[in-house]
Amino acid sequence: MLTPEENEVLCRVGPGTPMGKVLRRYWTPAFQLGDLPEPDCPPIKVTILGENFVAFRDTEGRLGFLDELCCHRGASLTLGRVEACGIRCLYHGWKYAVDGTIMETPNLATTTFRERVKHGAYPVHEAGGLGWVYLGPPGTAPAFPNFAWANAPASEFSVSEIIMDCNWMQAQEGSIDSSHVGILHLDTLATMGSGPRSVGSFDFAGEPWDLDMQVPGGARRMPGEAPRPGVWPSEDNAPRIELETTPFGFHYAAIRDADEPGKKFVRITAFVLPYTAIIGGTNGGVIVVPRDDYSCSTIGVFRLPPGTDRSVAEERARRGIDPAVWGPEPENRRLRLPKQDREAMAAGKSFAGFRGGNRVQDGAVQTSAGRMYDRAKEHLVPADLAIIRLRRLFADSIRLIESGHDPVGIGVDYDSTQVTAVSTIIDADQDWRDLVPSHQGSREAAR
Amino acid sequence: MSVVVDNACTQIWEALDGGATVTSLRVSPAVYEAVAAARSKEVARHYPLMLLGLPLVADHAVPTYDPVVA
Repeated sequence: MLTPEENEVLCRVGPGTPMGKVLRRYWTPAFQLGDLPEPDCPPIKVTILGENFVAFRDTEGRLGFLDELCCHRGASLTLGRVEACGIRCLYHGWKYAVDGTIMETPNLATTTFRERVKHGAYPVHEAGGLGWVYLGPPGTAPAFPNFAWANAPASEFSVSEIIMDCNWMQAQEGSIDSSHVGILHLDTLATMGSGPRSVGSFDFAGEPWDLDMQVPGGARRMPGEAPRPGVWPSEDNAPRIELETTPFGFHYAAIRDADEPGKKFVRITAFVLPYTAIIGGTNGGVIVVPRDDYSCSTIGVFRLPPGTDRSVAEERARRGIDPAVWGPEPENRRLRLPKQDREAMAAGKSFAGFRGGNRVQDGAVQTSAGRMYDRAKEHLVPADLAIIRLRRLFADSIRLIESGHDPVGIGVDYDSTQVTAVSTIIDADQDWRDLVPSHQGSREAAR
Repeated sequence: MSVVVDNACTQIWEALDGGATVTSLRVSPAVYEAVAAARSKEVARHYPLMLLGLPLVADHAVPTYDPVVA
């Protein structure tokens, strides 16, 4: 739990807020590169950390990320013309370069102003199909963390963004909440191929119901088809959580008794402060970024097999989700919850009653807590250790920033290319840390 | 509070790992009062104050940031 005051500090991210100061010290994923596909294409408006920006790609292909409003009279540059290596405001024709240089001021003949003043501009880095920006004080940008999954060309990534109308911490905490997976996502597990399961006294038949949903790996079980062993190899809904702090944040294992005697089922998640969960059992991660205090983007970034057509990947991302609920198009990325199928729930066909797969199910419960959940009301349990540690690291970072230091994860040395995640069955006496030896060095460095 | 909860949770897992049974969480009076203030509705209903599934016990001997699992 947090006190109401601590909750406010944790959740609010605007300029000048404690968490806002912390988050601005990391590279922040701000937009999809696919939204700025070619030189001089239309600019886009970006809202992150409670501020509005314009992003554009100039004639030479360089990305610009500027304060949204023209510094003359405040018209939005998202209405502007992108041309001849700059973006021009429609109102009075002021023109800006990607670095904020004021190139032209047609209604001001003298050059003194534009020689002495620059428009707000921020560094941009292209990685993993995303444009990452640094919004911290000039000269403080850390080296970009080159995760292995981020170094391939944008064409090799499937990027899908869901905008949710709730505070970002509700989504972020969900991304590191392993104990819900075998419960909320029972319908997904059934479509993937698992069989009957229990949630407390409720026995779920485990027949596939939402046949259209996206499932990891793409293989789905059809009605009448026998369950596949190993899809979710545990009936244990109360995983033991083991967690270690690392230089990049932390990694943890959700450890369940496996159905097979003498074995245990481990899902290892690496959390890279402050936005990215690299999740066991996937080939990518989930990035949660605050747009403002009451909305956030959850961005799934997954590496595609070589040769996969990007349009195919985009189609896969939307598979099974009604376009009235969500779509990958920029104007359709805000999640609108589907109607819950109470008949299917009552008949035991569906556990959660939401079609569309994990991200719709997650969105339903995370937004159901309200626009900004009051954590004074919650009753955490030991299985929430990763969520508890995340909050502590943010609280530590706030204290570090206030005392003039770097936040947690900045200014430390670790090999970002080796940060990974795992989901597998191992012998009951084996240490899960052996599965992520690349983290061993970072763990030592953290001590 | 985030530090207190994190330390308590870590202790609980260590205790469980060692085969111990955990029955209560001893915290400093300041922490106890902070939880009571945040959970005023539960106090008004005469529910016991609990954290991480354990009943809270105020103990002057317990440092603010180092709760004790018993």
